[in-house]
Amino acid sequence: MSKKKFVVAAFDDEDVLFPAVKKVRTSGYKIHDVYTPFAVHGLDHALGLRETSLHTAGFIYGITGTTTALSCISWILTADWPMNFGGKPHFALPAWIPITFELTVLFAAVGMVLTFCYLCQLAPFVKKHHFHARATDDLFVMVIECTAKTNVDDLMGFLSSTGALEVNVQVAEPEWWLGTYDKEQQLIKGSHVEVA
Amino acid sequence: MHLKYESPLREPLVYGTKDYHQVTEDIVRPIEAKPSKLWYIGFFISVSLLMFGVYAVYRDVTYGIGQWNLNKTIGWGWDITNFVWWVGIGHAGTLISAILLLFRQGWRTGVNRAAEAMTIFAVMCAGQFPIWHMGRVWMAFFVMPYPNSRGPLWPNFNSPLLWDVFAISTYFTVSLLFWYSGLLPDLATVRDRAKTKLRKKLYGIASFGWIGSTKHWQRHESLSLVLAGLSTPLVLSVHTIVSFDFATSVIPGWHTTIFPPYFVAGAVFSGFAMVQTLMVIVRKVFGLGDYITMGHIEAMNKVIVLTGSIVGVAYLTELFMGWYSQNKYEGYTFWYSRANPFSPYGWSYWGMMTCNVLSPQIFWFRKLRRNLYVTFFMSVIVNIGMWFERFVIIVTSLYRDYLPSSWSVYYHPTVWEIGFYLGTFGLFFTCFFLFAKYFPVIAIAEIKYVLKTTGESFKDKMDVQEVLETEEFAHKYVH
Amino acid sequence: MVAIKQQFEVPAKLKTWSLALTAIGALAIIIGFVHWGLSPDQHQKDIFWGTVMYNSIFFMLITNASMFFICATTLAMGGWQTAFRRVPEAISTVVPIFGLIAFSVLIYITWGMGSSTHIYQWLNKAQLEKDGNAEVLKKLGFLNPYFFFIWTTLAIGLWSLLGYRMRKLSREADEASLKGEEPGRSFILRNTISAAVFIVWFALTVGSTIPWLWMMSIDANWYSTMYSWYTFASSFVSGMSLIALWVIYLKNKGYLEYTNEEHLHDLGKFMFAFSIFWTYLWFSQYMLIWYGNIPEETVYFKHRVQGPYKGIFFLNIIINFVCPILILMKRSAKRNYTLVTFMAVLIIFGHWIDFYQMVMGSIRKESASLSWLDFGTAAFFVGMMIYIVANSLSKKPLVPKYHPFLKESLIYNT
Repeated sequence: MSKKKFVVAAFDDEDVLFPAVKKVRTSGYKIHDVYTPFAVHGLDHALGLRETSLHTAGFIYGITGTTTALSCISWILTADWPMNFGGKPHFALPAWIPITFELTVLFAAVGMVLTFCYLCQLAPFVKKHHFHARATDDLFVMVIECTAKTNVDDLMGFLSSTGALEVNVQVAEPEWWLGTYDKEQQLIKGSHVEVA
Repeated sequence: MHLKYESPLREPLVYGTKDYHQVTEDIVRPIEAKPSKLWYIGFFISVSLLMFGVYAVYRDVTYGIGQWNLNKTIGWGWDITNFVWWVGIGHAGTLISAILLLFRQGWRTGVNRAAEAMTIFAVMCAGQFPIWHMGRVWMAFFVMPYPNSRGPLWPNFNSPLLWDVFAISTYFTVSLLFWYSGLLPDLATVRDRAKTKLRKKLYGIASFGWIGSTKHWQRHESLSLVLAGLSTPLVLSVHTIVSFDFATSVIPGWHTTIFPPYFVAGAVFSGFAMVQTLMVIVRKVFGLGDYITMGHIEAMNKVIVLTGSIVGVAYLTELFMGWYSQNKYEGYTFWYSRANPFSPYGWSYWGMMTCNVLSPQIFWFRKLRRNLYVTFFMSVIVNIGMWFERFVIIVTSLYRDYLPSSWSVYYHPTVWEIGFYLGTFGLFFTCFFLFAKYFPVIAIAEIKYVLKTTGESFKDKMDVQEVLETEEFAHKYVH
Repeated sequence: MVAIKQQFEVPAKLKTWSLALTAIGALAIIIGFVHWGLSPDQHQKDIFWGTVMYNSIFFMLITNASMFFICATTLAMGGWQTAFRRVPEAISTVVPIFGLIAFSVLIYITWGMGSSTHIYQWLNKAQLEKDGNAEVLKKLGFLNPYFFFIWTTLAIGLWSLLGYRMRKLSREADEASLKGEEPGRSFILRNTISAAVFIVWFALTVGSTIPWLWMMSIDANWYSTMYSWYTFASSFVSGMSLIALWVIYLKNKGYLEYTNEEHLHDLGKFMFAFSIFWTYLWFSQYMLIWYGNIPEETVYFKHRVQGPYKGIFFLNIIINFVCPILILMKRSAKRNYTLVTFMAVLIIFGHWIDFYQMVMGSIRKESASLSWLDFGTAAFFVGMMIYIVANSLSKKPLVPKYHPFLKESLIYNT
């Protein structure tokens, strides 16, 4: 992975952020991402992100759980080792519903969380470049990727005019790597090997 | 961008003049500061209780559960009572985060994090009882279905006890995932403020590298919503399956169809009482009165009077059916063993009725709902009552068998049964003290999400909208 | 600034159609009465009266569910439903009228036919003694025409009265004098108190005694503690579907400008969630009886699962569980007017079938046949319900303009 150059603008109010996002997008700049301290309702639409289909994945995992439970139990109790429990038929469906339900939920939940972590690259020891330490506190941080044609000064001026509190330029690695947060982050140059 | 407006009639959910940063400061402060003396004392007591419990359990394993006073007919006593009691308490966390989400109760944001944590710890405590009751605990893995060299001998999938294995373990797993995925952004907040290297490292590992990307938030919201949707039937199913442990049998007093919803209502009832107990302490010890407001306390007291009354309807339904069924065994159980105050265990039934049905009715009065002392006292009373409920169900149905020759009136727990129970208190509170010290007890990101709609200092800004006529308002803000 | 259409005008077509439906239904009931009701065979008479009974109870309970919905959301301090709350209010105006019909039918059965009917075997003491049915004889302290009369009167009377009180309170929300914090606070408080009283009475009747008395006692020996909560779940989910249908109808006619798919989404969620809740109660009751396998209890399910009601029994689960869970699961489905309409009709039909098998499955054990009488009687109630609800809707502004929570409802987002 290689480093890229970004212009970073930090806002302190989502009411300022929204018009800014709109202006930046209509001016033709490509917003790399916006980092926010909480889920800002509607920001994904403002950025033109497509809807997530995570819930569809959840549905599929759930169905898998249902099928697993029903097929395993019915095979075990009717084919592999049929036994008489309290005079009930071997195919005692009502008694299997609880476990079937639990496995449906278990599969769906575990599957979804793992998928979520995979998609967002979240795991212990994962480290990513943090454009602004206060993005998890009280700032909304808009990051714009610079291309060869981008005039950085113009862009910075433009962002200030939209109401950004702070504007700066960062050259950073946009992907994740393994590391811990007690080591210094490298912001400007070099490879993504941390310096102690 | 949506309009931040709510009716001025609603109480603020966050008091004081707060901005986003102040919210972070307030909630993270207890984590960054040195724990108070009170914390050390509490923690020490909890750990001592836990140690006593560990010793009791060590004896159980070494000498067998013969050291409990279980007898001919009461094959389940304190252990199953405590199991059901703890599982029930766990339910409030999921209810607050999942079902109240469906019912749009804004106040859930202040208390959901701590309640979810409480759920997890309560389920951990509950799990101890069936595990150690196995006696030969090193054989515990026999309950899991896996191809084995014993035939293969499978567990009995038709048995409610096996359903319990699946229900409790699923519940624990899903609650843990739900809680932890909600914690990720807040742990990242703590990480980014951390001053020491160790904190940076540990919170960095724990926060999974969360940086608050919009796409991640979008997925996170979707995940939370689906997990809430899954947890809603899950939480119902767990106590339902616990109730099946009793209701599928044909023992009088146990075999009754209302058990599933009535157990769930009771579980929520006791869980809310435990949340109240903890919240009253937390808001005091950590100075979080601005976030866990009287409005929150009042809302939870309303849930307590509601669920207490539902449980009351169920008790009366059962009692009525004990007569209406004209089944003499049912009648005997309900009208002699339970409702007759002069029968050997009649006191426990009336203790249950007093604590669970009668006393919560005081919460019809607003003044009492908003009184912290009353709230705290009632929360303890309710949990005593709910313990009695399980004791009543279990012991009064068992102590008089069909055969008078095997009737056994006096069941007293031994010190090791009591010690085991106290030990789970130790476990619960040890976990909770650690949680309160090292994790944000209030969901920071969620409070920020609702701050501008429900924060006290933002209420004035809504006057602009409040004065508008409905038509103007609609014209301006509804698209 | 656009003025909204506050006054619903009943379209002539709706009037004609609802009256026609009522007339067809009435005709069916009259023919049914001549055919079965006048038959010398008591069993035939019982079939006729049983049919009228379950229909009147069903339609009264699902309209009463509207008032329950209003009271429950009021107690929960809900704001989202304010934009369309006049709709459930209008639906609940049916309760006194259907209540009177149900009351007449029930009283005719217990007092008019008395000991000759087999619907309620507990009415015929002599027969019980002859059969040596000691269990039922001992229940006569509860199952007797006097208590039945008093409790039925109280139940229906208080539902109507307390519902009326809630609706009367709601009129204040049309007056500008409700503006401002103090009047608003007092309005909400008074609403909360009235709603609490209704809910308490509802719990003591629909949540417990009334279904035992009216329906469970048809199988006088049989009992299930779940029965009333099950009946409640069945009527509540149908009630929510009914509200959804009226909201959609008014939207289609260009009214309720402030209600949009966000509100529909939540109505859909209620339909979805309570369908699952109903299934949960259904399963719990059925499974526990199946598992315990005690003859006194399984007798209720025996002919329903294995006998003539088999088809209806399984249809019940398919319509009321499988369909809602598969069709309403998706977010887009709950926001789709056509799909929600379809599901609402299906759910109401499904629970009507459920009531059919609950009541007729006990009266007419030998065979199950949904005949023109069942559909005709239902048509009578549906037609009348449409007529009355439309009429009530036209009497009040459709949006409670000064309700303190109305603005929250307008910007409501799911």
